[in-house]
Amino acid sequence: MTEPAPLLRLEARGLVREFPGGAGVHGIDLDVAPGEVHALVGLNGAGKTTLMRILLGMLRTDRGDARIDGVDLRSAGPDTWRRVGHVVEHPFAYAELTGRGNLAIAARLRGVPRDDVDAAVDRVIDEFDLARYANVRASRLSLGNRQRLGLAAALLHEPSFVVLDEPTNALDPAGVILLRESLVRRAAAGAGILVSSHHLDEVARIAHRITVINDGRVIGELDPAGIDLERAFFAQVHADVAGRVA
Amino acid sequence: MNAGLRAAIAVEARKAAASRVMASVTALLVLGVGALSLGMLLAAASGDEQVLAKLGPLAGVGGWAGLIGVVLQITAAGGLLAFGVALSWLFGREFADGTVAALFALPVSRPAIAMAKLVVYLAWAIGVAVVLTGIVAVLGFAMGYGVTDAAGVATLLRIPVLVVLTALIAVPAAWAATIGRGLLPGIAATVGIVVVAQVFAIADAGAWVPIVAPALWAIAPASVPAAALLTVPSVPIVFGGLCALAWARLQLDR
Repeated sequence: MTEPAPLLRLEARGLVREFPGGAGVHGIDLDVAPGEVHALVGLNGAGKTTLMRILLGMLRTDRGDARIDGVDLRSAGPDTWRRVGHVVEHPFAYAELTGRGNLAIAARLRGVPRDDVDAAVDRVIDEFDLARYANVRASRLSLGNRQRLGLAAALLHEPSFVVLDEPTNALDPAGVILLRESLVRRAAAGAGILVSSHHLDEVARIAHRITVINDGRVIGELDPAGIDLERAFFAQVHADVAGRVA
Repeated sequence: MNAGLRAAIAVEARKAAASRVMASVTALLVLGVGALSLGMLLAAASGDEQVLAKLGPLAGVGGWAGLIGVVLQITAAGGLLAFGVALSWLFGREFADGTVAALFALPVSRPAIAMAKLVVYLAWAIGVAVVLTGIVAVLGFAMGYGVTDAAGVATLLRIPVLVVLTALIAVPAAWAATIGRGLLPGIAATVGIVVVAQVFAIADAGAWVPIVAPALWAIAPASVPAAALLTVPSVPIVFGGLCALAWARLQLDR
Protein backbone atom coordinates (compact mmCIF):
# COMPACT_ATOMS: atom_id res chain seq x y z
CA MET A 1 0.00 0.00 0.00
CA THR A 2 1.42 3.42 -0.90
CA GLU A 3 1.27 6.33 1.53
CA PRO A 4 -1.35 8.95 0.72
CA ALA A 5 0.27 12.07 -0.74
CA PRO A 6 0.43 14.90 1.81
CA LEU A 7 -1.75 17.87 1.15
CA LEU A 8 1.21 20.23 1.18
CA ARG A 9 4.97 19.78 0.86
CA LEU A 10 5.43 22.98 2.83
CA GLU A 11 3.02 24.78 5.09
CA ALA A 12 4.39 27.83 6.93
CA ARG A 13 2.34 30.09 9.15
CA GLY A 14 3.23 33.39 10.77
CA LEU A 15 7.00 32.99 10.49
CA VAL A 16 8.84 35.73 12.35
CA ARG A 17 12.58 36.15 12.78
CA GLU A 18 13.80 39.63 13.45
CA PHE A 19 17.36 40.90 13.53
CA PRO A 20 18.63 44.00 15.28
CA GLY A 21 17.98 46.97 13.00
CA GLY A 22 14.65 45.63 11.75
CA ALA A 23 15.78 43.18 9.05
CA GLY A 24 14.39 39.65 8.89
CA VAL A 25 10.96 38.22 8.20
CA HIS A 26 7.94 39.69 9.94
CA GLY A 27 5.09 37.20 9.69
CA ILE A 28 5.14 35.15 6.50
CA ASP A 29 2.63 32.48 5.45
CA LEU A 30 3.71 30.25 2.60
CA ASP A 31 2.58 26.97 1.01
CA VAL A 32 4.12 24.70 -1.56
CA ALA A 33 1.88 21.94 -2.92
CA PRO A 34 3.09 18.64 -4.38
CA GLY A 35 3.86 19.16 -8.08
CA GLU A 36 4.13 22.91 -7.65
CA VAL A 37 7.02 25.23 -8.49
CA HIS A 38 6.57 28.23 -6.21
CA ALA A 39 8.84 31.17 -6.91
CA LEU A 40 9.80 33.91 -4.47
CA VAL A 41 10.79 37.23 -5.95
CA GLY A 42 11.94 40.34 -4.18
CA LEU A 43 14.67 42.93 -4.09
CA ASN A 44 17.98 42.22 -2.37
CA GLY A 45 17.46 42.22 1.39
CA ALA A 46 13.71 41.51 1.08
CA GLY A 47 13.99 38.44 3.30
CA LYS A 48 13.96 35.60 0.76
CA THR A 49 17.16 33.98 1.99
CA THR A 50 16.21 34.44 5.66
CA LEU A 51 12.88 32.73 4.94
CA MET A 52 14.63 29.82 3.20
CA ARG A 53 17.13 29.51 6.04
CA ILE A 54 14.25 29.22 8.51
CA LEU A 55 12.60 26.50 6.42
CA LEU A 56 15.86 24.50 6.40
CA GLY A 57 16.57 24.80 10.12
CA MET A 58 19.48 27.20 9.64
CA LEU A 59 17.67 29.84 11.70
CA ARG A 60 15.19 29.42 14.51
CA THR A 61 12.03 31.47 14.45
CA ASP A 62 10.95 33.99 17.05
CA ARG A 63 7.33 32.98 16.31
CA GLY A 64 5.36 30.89 13.87
CA ASP A 65 5.73 27.36 12.64
CA ALA A 66 6.42 25.42 9.49
CA ARG A 67 5.70 21.86 8.40
CA ILE A 68 7.43 19.81 5.74
CA ASP A 69 5.24 16.97 4.47
CA GLY A 70 3.13 17.51 7.57
CA VAL A 71 6.03 17.27 10.06
CA ASP A 72 6.75 20.25 12.31
CA LEU A 73 10.27 21.59 11.64
CA ARG A 74 11.08 21.56 15.35
CA SER A 75 10.58 17.81 15.54
CA ALA A 76 11.82 16.94 12.03
CA GLY A 77 14.22 13.99 12.03
CA PRO A 78 16.20 12.02 9.45
CA ASP A 79 13.06 10.72 7.70
CA THR A 80 11.92 14.27 6.95
CA TRP A 81 15.32 15.69 5.98
CA ARG A 82 16.00 12.69 3.71
CA ARG A 83 13.22 14.05 1.49
CA VAL A 84 14.64 17.59 1.29
CA GLY A 85 17.17 18.97 -1.18
CA HIS A 86 18.56 22.48 -1.05
CA VAL A 87 21.10 24.99 -2.25
CA VAL A 88 21.14 28.16 -0.18
CA GLU A 89 23.97 30.57 -0.92
CA HIS A 90 27.08 28.37 -1.20
CA PRO A 91 26.80 25.21 -3.31
CA PHE A 92 27.91 21.86 -1.88
CA ALA A 93 31.37 21.76 -3.48
CA TYR A 94 34.42 20.86 -1.39
CA ALA A 95 37.47 22.26 -3.15
CA GLU A 96 39.68 19.24 -2.47
CA LEU A 97 37.26 16.69 -3.94
CA THR A 98 36.48 15.95 -7.58
CA GLY A 99 33.04 16.42 -9.02
CA ARG A 100 32.31 12.73 -8.52
CA GLY A 101 33.78 12.77 -5.01
CA ASN A 102 31.55 15.68 -4.02
CA LEU A 103 28.46 13.98 -5.40
CA ALA A 104 29.34 10.72 -3.64
CA ILE A 105 29.65 12.35 -0.23
CA ALA A 106 26.50 14.40 -0.86
CA ALA A 107 24.67 11.14 -1.55
CA ARG A 108 25.92 9.59 1.71
CA LEU A 109 24.91 12.68 3.70
CA ARG A 110 21.46 12.65 2.09
CA GLY A 111 20.81 9.10 3.16
CA VAL A 112 21.38 7.27 -0.14
CA PRO A 113 22.31 3.66 0.82
CA ARG A 114 26.00 2.95 0.21
CA ASP A 115 25.29 0.39 -2.51
CA ASP A 116 23.14 2.86 -4.44
CA VAL A 117 25.55 5.80 -4.33
CA ASP A 118 27.38 5.07 -7.60
CA ALA A 119 24.16 4.68 -9.56
CA ALA A 120 22.70 7.90 -8.09
CA VAL A 121 25.92 9.79 -8.88
CA ASP A 122 26.08 8.47 -12.47
CA ARG A 123 22.46 9.44 -13.02
CA VAL A 124 22.90 13.02 -11.85
CA ILE A 125 26.23 13.46 -13.69
CA ASP A 126 24.34 12.53 -16.82
CA GLU A 127 21.36 14.75 -15.98
CA PHE A 128 23.47 17.84 -15.34
CA ASP A 129 26.02 17.11 -18.08
CA LEU A 130 28.90 16.97 -15.60
CA ALA A 131 30.87 14.08 -17.16
CA ARG A 132 33.71 16.41 -18.22
CA TYR A 133 34.16 17.58 -14.63
CA ALA A 134 33.59 14.28 -12.84
CA ASN A 135 37.31 13.78 -12.24
CA VAL A 136 38.29 17.44 -11.84
CA ARG A 137 38.79 18.93 -8.37
CA ALA A 138 36.08 21.44 -7.47
CA SER A 139 38.79 24.04 -6.77
CA ARG A 140 39.51 24.07 -10.50
CA LEU A 141 35.89 24.44 -11.60
CA SER A 142 34.41 27.76 -12.72
CA LEU A 143 31.82 29.38 -10.46
CA GLY A 144 29.06 28.29 -12.82
CA ASN A 145 30.19 24.68 -12.89
CA ARG A 146 30.48 24.64 -9.10
CA GLN A 147 26.89 25.87 -8.96
CA ARG A 148 25.86 23.12 -11.38
CA LEU A 149 27.66 20.60 -9.16
CA GLY A 150 25.87 21.98 -6.09
CA LEU A 151 22.48 21.67 -7.79
CA ALA A 152 23.25 18.10 -8.80
CA ALA A 153 24.27 17.34 -5.19
CA ALA A 154 20.99 18.81 -3.91
CA LEU A 155 18.81 16.79 -6.28
CA LEU A 156 20.56 13.42 -6.65
CA HIS A 157 18.46 11.72 -3.96
CA GLU A 158 15.17 12.66 -5.65
CA PRO A 159 13.87 14.91 -2.86
CA SER A 160 10.15 15.59 -2.56
CA PHE A 161 10.71 19.15 -1.27
CA VAL A 162 13.35 21.32 -2.92
CA VAL A 163 14.57 24.75 -1.76
CA LEU A 164 16.82 26.68 -4.14
CA ASP A 165 18.05 30.20 -3.46
CA GLU A 166 18.98 31.99 -6.69
CA PRO A 167 19.84 28.68 -8.38
CA THR A 168 20.70 30.20 -11.75
CA ASN A 169 23.44 32.40 -10.27
CA ALA A 170 26.55 32.03 -12.43
CA LEU A 171 24.97 29.30 -14.58
CA ASP A 172 25.52 29.51 -18.34
CA PRO A 173 22.46 29.35 -20.63
CA ALA A 174 22.92 25.59 -21.08
CA GLY A 175 22.99 25.14 -17.30
CA VAL A 176 19.84 27.25 -16.92
CA ILE A 177 18.01 25.02 -19.39
CA LEU A 178 19.23 21.83 -17.66
CA LEU A 179 18.05 23.15 -14.30
CA ARG A 180 14.70 24.24 -15.67
CA GLU A 181 14.09 20.83 -17.24
CA SER A 182 15.19 19.09 -14.07
CA LEU A 183 12.80 21.11 -11.90
CA VAL A 184 9.87 20.69 -14.26
CA ARG A 185 10.46 16.93 -14.35
CA ARG A 186 10.70 16.69 -10.57
CA ALA A 187 7.57 18.78 -10.05
CA ALA A 188 5.71 16.58 -12.52
CA ALA A 189 6.75 13.59 -10.39
CA GLY A 190 5.19 15.19 -7.31
CA ALA A 191 8.00 17.22 -5.73
CA GLY A 192 7.24 20.64 -4.28
CA ILE A 193 9.80 23.25 -5.32
CA LEU A 194 10.47 26.61 -3.70
CA VAL A 195 12.83 28.77 -5.69
CA SER A 196 13.96 32.37 -5.37
CA SER A 197 15.16 34.39 -8.29
CA HIS A 198 15.92 37.87 -9.54
CA HIS A 199 15.12 36.88 -13.10
CA LEU A 200 11.41 37.37 -13.58
CA ASP A 201 11.32 36.03 -17.14
CA GLU A 202 13.09 32.89 -16.15
CA VAL A 203 10.82 32.36 -13.13
CA ALA A 204 7.74 32.86 -15.29
CA ARG A 205 8.81 29.99 -17.54
CA ILE A 206 8.51 27.33 -14.88
CA ALA A 207 6.70 28.71 -11.82
CA HIS A 208 3.10 27.84 -11.14
CA ARG A 209 2.92 30.56 -8.53
CA ILE A 210 5.03 33.68 -7.94
CA THR A 211 5.00 35.35 -4.51
CA VAL A 212 6.41 38.84 -4.07
CA ILE A 213 8.30 39.55 -0.86
CA ASN A 214 9.31 42.96 0.37
CA ASP A 215 10.74 44.04 3.68
CA GLY A 216 10.20 40.62 5.25
CA ARG A 217 6.53 40.34 4.28
CA VAL A 218 4.48 38.79 1.49
CA ILE A 219 3.05 41.73 -0.43
CA GLY A 220 1.32 39.97 -3.30
CA GLU A 221 1.47 37.52 -6.15
CA LEU A 222 2.34 37.78 -9.82
CA ASP A 223 0.61 35.88 -12.59
CA PRO A 224 3.26 33.71 -14.30
CA ALA A 225 1.29 34.06 -17.53
CA GLY A 226 1.20 37.84 -17.15
CA ILE A 227 2.58 40.05 -19.91
CA ASP A 228 4.80 42.60 -18.18
CA LEU A 229 5.98 40.94 -14.97
CA GLU A 230 8.64 43.55 -14.30
CA ARG A 231 6.16 46.41 -14.32
CA ALA A 232 3.73 44.46 -12.12
CA PHE A 233 6.53 43.57 -9.70
CA PHE A 234 7.73 47.14 -9.25
CA ALA A 235 4.16 48.42 -8.97
CA GLN A 236 3.63 46.10 -5.99
CA VAL A 237 6.97 46.98 -4.37
CA HIS A 238 6.46 50.72 -4.77
CA ALA A 239 2.89 50.52 -3.47
CA ASP A 240 4.16 48.61 -0.43
CA VAL A 241 6.90 51.13 0.28
CA ALA A 242 4.52 54.07 -0.22
CA GLY A 243 1.89 52.42 2.00
CA ARG A 244 4.33 51.98 4.86
CA VAL A 245 5.75 55.50 4.54
CA ALA A 246 2.23 56.92 4.65
CA MET B 1 27.15 3.08 15.82
CA ASN B 2 24.12 4.56 14.07
CA ALA B 3 23.86 4.88 10.30
CA GLY B 4 24.16 8.69 10.37
CA LEU B 5 27.44 8.66 12.27
CA ARG B 6 28.80 5.89 10.02
CA ALA B 7 27.97 7.92 6.90
CA ALA B 8 29.44 11.07 8.45
CA ILE B 9 32.70 9.28 9.29
CA ALA B 10 32.99 7.98 5.72
CA VAL B 11 32.38 11.51 4.39
CA GLU B 12 34.82 13.23 6.75
CA ALA B 13 37.49 10.58 6.12
CA ARG B 14 37.18 11.14 2.38
CA LYS B 15 37.44 14.92 2.78
CA ALA B 16 40.48 14.64 5.06
CA ALA B 17 42.23 12.11 2.82
CA ALA B 18 41.83 14.37 -0.21
CA SER B 19 42.87 17.51 1.64
CA ARG B 20 46.19 19.17 0.92
CA VAL B 21 46.01 20.90 4.29
CA MET B 22 45.95 17.61 6.18
CA ALA B 23 48.70 16.18 3.94
CA SER B 24 50.89 19.26 4.56
CA VAL B 25 50.33 19.19 8.32
CA THR B 26 51.20 15.49 8.39
CA ALA B 27 54.39 16.02 6.40
CA LEU B 28 55.42 19.04 8.47
CA LEU B 29 54.76 17.21 11.71
CA VAL B 30 56.43 13.91 10.88
CA LEU B 31 59.36 15.13 8.81
CA GLY B 32 59.73 18.39 10.71
CA VAL B 33 59.99 16.75 14.12
CA GLY B 34 62.40 14.17 12.72
CA ALA B 35 64.63 16.76 11.06
CA LEU B 36 64.55 19.16 14.03
CA SER B 37 65.41 16.37 16.45
CA LEU B 38 68.33 15.25 14.35
CA GLY B 39 69.51 18.85 13.97
CA MET B 40 69.35 19.53 17.71
CA LEU B 41 71.19 16.32 18.52
CA LEU B 42 73.95 17.14 16.04
CA ALA B 43 74.19 20.73 17.31
CA ALA B 44 74.31 19.49 20.92
CA ALA B 45 77.03 17.01 20.01
CA SER B 46 79.03 19.89 18.53
CA GLY B 47 78.69 21.77 21.85
CA ASP B 48 76.38 24.62 20.69
CA GLU B 49 75.61 26.46 23.93
CA GLN B 50 72.22 27.82 22.86
CA VAL B 51 70.99 24.37 21.91
CA LEU B 52 72.39 22.89 25.12
CA ALA B 53 70.52 25.55 27.10
CA LYS B 54 67.26 24.71 25.26
CA LEU B 55 67.70 21.01 25.95
CA GLY B 56 68.11 21.68 29.69
CA PRO B 57 68.40 18.42 31.63
CA LEU B 58 68.49 16.48 28.36
CA ALA B 59 71.84 17.99 27.40
CA GLY B 60 74.48 15.36 27.76
CA VAL B 61 71.99 12.48 27.84
CA GLY B 62 72.99 10.07 25.09
CA GLY B 63 71.47 7.05 23.40
CA TRP B 64 67.76 6.48 22.95
CA ALA B 65 66.84 8.57 26.02
CA GLY B 66 68.60 11.62 24.57
CA LEU B 67 67.06 11.26 21.10
CA ILE B 68 63.57 10.52 22.37
CA GLY B 69 63.76 13.28 24.97
CA VAL B 70 64.42 15.81 22.19
CA VAL B 71 61.62 14.38 20.02
CA LEU B 72 59.17 14.59 22.93
CA GLN B 73 60.12 18.15 23.78
CA ILE B 74 59.61 19.29 20.20
CA THR B 75 56.39 17.31 19.80
CA ALA B 76 54.86 18.66 23.00
CA ALA B 77 54.99 22.21 21.62
CA GLY B 78 55.27 21.91 17.82
CA GLY B 79 53.03 18.87 17.63
CA LEU B 80 50.34 20.58 19.67
CA LEU B 81 50.42 23.53 17.28
CA ALA B 82 50.14 21.21 14.28
CA PHE B 83 47.24 19.28 15.82
CA GLY B 84 45.47 22.53 16.64
CA VAL B 85 45.91 23.76 13.07
CA ALA B 86 44.50 20.48 11.74
CA LEU B 87 41.45 20.71 14.03
CA SER B 88 40.94 24.40 13.23
CA TRP B 89 40.90 23.52 9.57
CA LEU B 90 38.64 20.47 9.95
CA PHE B 91 36.01 22.54 11.77
CA GLY B 92 36.69 26.14 10.75
CA ARG B 93 36.89 25.49 7.02
CA GLU B 94 33.15 24.75 6.86
CA PHE B 95 32.56 28.36 7.92
CA ALA B 96 35.44 29.90 5.98
CA ASP B 97 34.45 28.08 2.76
CA GLY B 98 30.72 28.62 3.29
CA THR B 99 30.03 24.87 3.06
CA VAL B 100 28.37 24.88 6.49
CA ALA B 101 25.01 25.82 4.92
CA ALA B 102 25.07 22.54 3.01
CA LEU B 103 25.37 20.63 6.30
CA PHE B 104 21.87 21.67 7.41
CA ALA B 105 18.62 19.89 6.53
CA LEU B 106 20.30 16.50 6.11
CA PRO B 107 19.31 13.12 7.55
CA VAL B 108 22.82 13.02 9.07
CA SER B 109 22.70 15.35 12.07
CA ARG B 110 25.24 18.11 12.61
CA PRO B 111 26.40 16.69 15.97
CA ALA B 112 27.10 13.41 14.10
CA ILE B 113 29.16 15.38 11.58
CA ALA B 114 31.10 17.09 14.39
CA MET B 115 31.72 13.75 16.13
CA ALA B 116 32.81 12.22 12.82
CA LYS B 117 35.36 15.01 12.39
CA LEU B 118 36.79 14.19 15.82
CA VAL B 119 36.86 10.45 15.10
CA VAL B 120 38.72 11.03 11.82
CA TYR B 121 41.07 13.45 13.58
CA LEU B 122 41.91 10.91 16.29
CA ALA B 123 42.45 8.13 13.77
CA TRP B 124 44.77 10.44 11.83
CA ALA B 125 46.64 11.39 15.04
CA ILE B 126 47.18 7.71 15.86
CA GLY B 127 48.57 7.23 12.35
CA VAL B 128 50.89 10.21 12.86
CA ALA B 129 52.04 8.69 16.18
CA VAL B 130 52.89 5.38 14.53
CA VAL B 131 54.74 6.97 11.59
CA LEU B 132 56.68 9.39 13.80
CA THR B 133 57.71 6.54 16.10
CA GLY B 134 58.89 4.58 13.05
CA ILE B 135 60.95 7.51 11.77
CA VAL B 136 62.58 8.08 15.16
CA ALA B 137 63.34 4.34 15.41
CA VAL B 138 65.03 4.43 12.01
CA LEU B 139 66.93 7.56 13.08
CA GLY B 140 68.08 5.89 16.32
CA PHE B 141 69.21 2.69 14.66
CA ALA B 142 71.00 4.73 11.98
CA MET B 143 72.91 6.51 14.75
CA GLY B 144 73.95 3.13 16.11
CA TYR B 145 71.84 3.15 19.28
CA GLY B 146 70.67 -0.39 18.43
CA VAL B 147 74.15 -1.57 19.41
CA THR B 148 75.34 1.01 21.91
CA ASP B 149 72.05 1.33 23.87
CA ALA B 150 70.00 -1.78 23.10
CA ALA B 151 68.13 -1.64 26.42
CA GLY B 152 66.95 1.94 25.82
CA VAL B 153 64.87 1.05 22.77
CA ALA B 154 61.78 0.53 24.94
CA THR B 155 61.67 4.29 25.60
CA LEU B 156 60.46 4.64 21.99
CA LEU B 157 57.02 3.79 23.34
CA ARG B 158 56.87 7.19 25.00
CA ILE B 159 56.53 8.78 21.54
CA PRO B 160 53.12 7.38 20.51
CA VAL B 161 51.82 7.99 24.04
CA LEU B 162 52.86 11.64 23.97
CA VAL B 163 51.66 12.20 20.38
CA VAL B 164 48.19 10.86 21.19
CA LEU B 165 47.98 12.76 24.51
CA THR B 166 49.03 15.94 22.70
CA ALA B 167 46.37 15.34 20.05
CA LEU B 168 43.76 14.95 22.81
CA ILE B 169 44.55 18.25 24.52
CA ALA B 170 44.25 20.12 21.18
CA VAL B 171 40.49 19.37 20.95
CA PRO B 172 39.42 22.75 22.45
CA ALA B 173 40.62 24.21 19.11
CA ALA B 174 37.67 22.44 17.41
CA TRP B 175 35.23 24.07 19.80
CA ALA B 176 36.86 27.50 19.40
CA ALA B 177 36.75 27.19 15.58
CA THR B 178 33.03 26.35 15.82
CA ILE B 179 32.11 29.11 18.26
CA GLY B 180 34.28 31.64 16.41
CA ARG B 181 33.08 30.43 12.97
CA GLY B 182 36.46 30.14 11.33
CA LEU B 183 40.05 28.92 11.41
CA LEU B 184 41.66 31.77 13.33
CA PRO B 185 39.77 31.31 16.63
CA GLY B 186 40.85 27.65 16.61
CA ILE B 187 44.46 28.56 15.98
CA ALA B 188 44.32 31.24 18.68
CA ALA B 189 42.98 28.67 21.15
CA THR B 190 45.82 26.32 20.19
CA VAL B 191 48.44 28.98 20.77
CA GLY B 192 46.85 29.63 24.16
CA ILE B 193 47.08 25.95 25.11
CA VAL B 194 50.71 25.77 23.92
CA VAL B 195 51.64 28.79 26.01
CA VAL B 196 49.89 27.54 29.16
CA ALA B 197 51.30 24.03 28.76
CA GLN B 198 54.86 25.20 28.12
CA VAL B 199 54.94 27.85 30.85
CA PHE B 200 53.69 25.38 33.46
CA ALA B 201 55.96 22.62 32.18
CA ILE B 202 59.04 24.80 32.33
CA ALA B 203 58.05 25.84 35.86
CA ASP B 204 57.74 22.13 36.65
CA ALA B 205 54.16 22.62 37.86
CA GLY B 206 50.68 21.47 36.90
CA ALA B 207 51.14 17.72 36.66
CA TRP B 208 47.44 17.32 37.46
CA VAL B 209 46.28 19.94 34.95
CA PRO B 210 45.21 17.89 31.89
CA ILE B 211 46.49 20.36 29.28
CA VAL B 212 49.86 20.63 31.06
CA ALA B 213 50.52 16.98 31.96
CA PRO B 214 51.72 15.81 28.51
CA ALA B 215 54.26 18.65 28.08
CA LEU B 216 55.52 18.21 31.64
CA TRP B 217 55.78 14.45 31.11
CA ALA B 218 57.81 15.13 27.95
CA ILE B 219 60.35 17.30 29.80
CA ALA B 220 60.39 15.66 33.23
CA PRO B 221 58.67 12.27 33.18
CA ALA B 222 59.39 11.58 36.83
CA SER B 223 57.33 14.56 37.97
CA VAL B 224 54.09 13.30 36.35
CA PRO B 225 52.39 10.28 37.95
CA ALA B 226 50.71 7.87 35.49
CA ALA B 227 47.33 8.67 37.06
CA ALA B 228 47.80 12.33 36.09
CA LEU B 229 48.13 11.30 32.43
CA LEU B 230 44.83 9.47 32.77
CA THR B 231 43.11 12.82 33.39
CA VAL B 232 44.07 13.99 29.88
CA PRO B 233 41.06 12.33 28.11
CA SER B 234 38.79 14.62 30.14
CA VAL B 235 39.78 17.44 27.75
CA PRO B 236 38.46 15.81 24.54
CA ILE B 237 35.44 14.43 26.41
CA VAL B 238 34.40 17.86 27.72
CA PHE B 239 35.27 19.81 24.58
CA GLY B 240 33.97 17.07 22.25
CA GLY B 241 30.66 17.35 24.11
CA LEU B 242 30.72 21.13 23.81
CA CYS B 243 31.43 20.76 20.08
CA ALA B 244 28.46 18.43 19.58
CA LEU B 245 26.25 20.87 21.51
CA ALA B 246 27.51 23.88 19.52
CA TRP B 247 26.86 22.08 16.22
CA ALA B 248 23.40 21.00 17.36
CA ARG B 249 22.47 24.57 18.30
CA LEU B 250 24.20 26.19 15.35
CA GLN B 251 22.35 28.98 13.53
CA LEU B 252 23.52 30.87 10.46
CA ASP B 253 22.76 34.20 12.05
CA ARG B 254 26.10 35.99 11.68
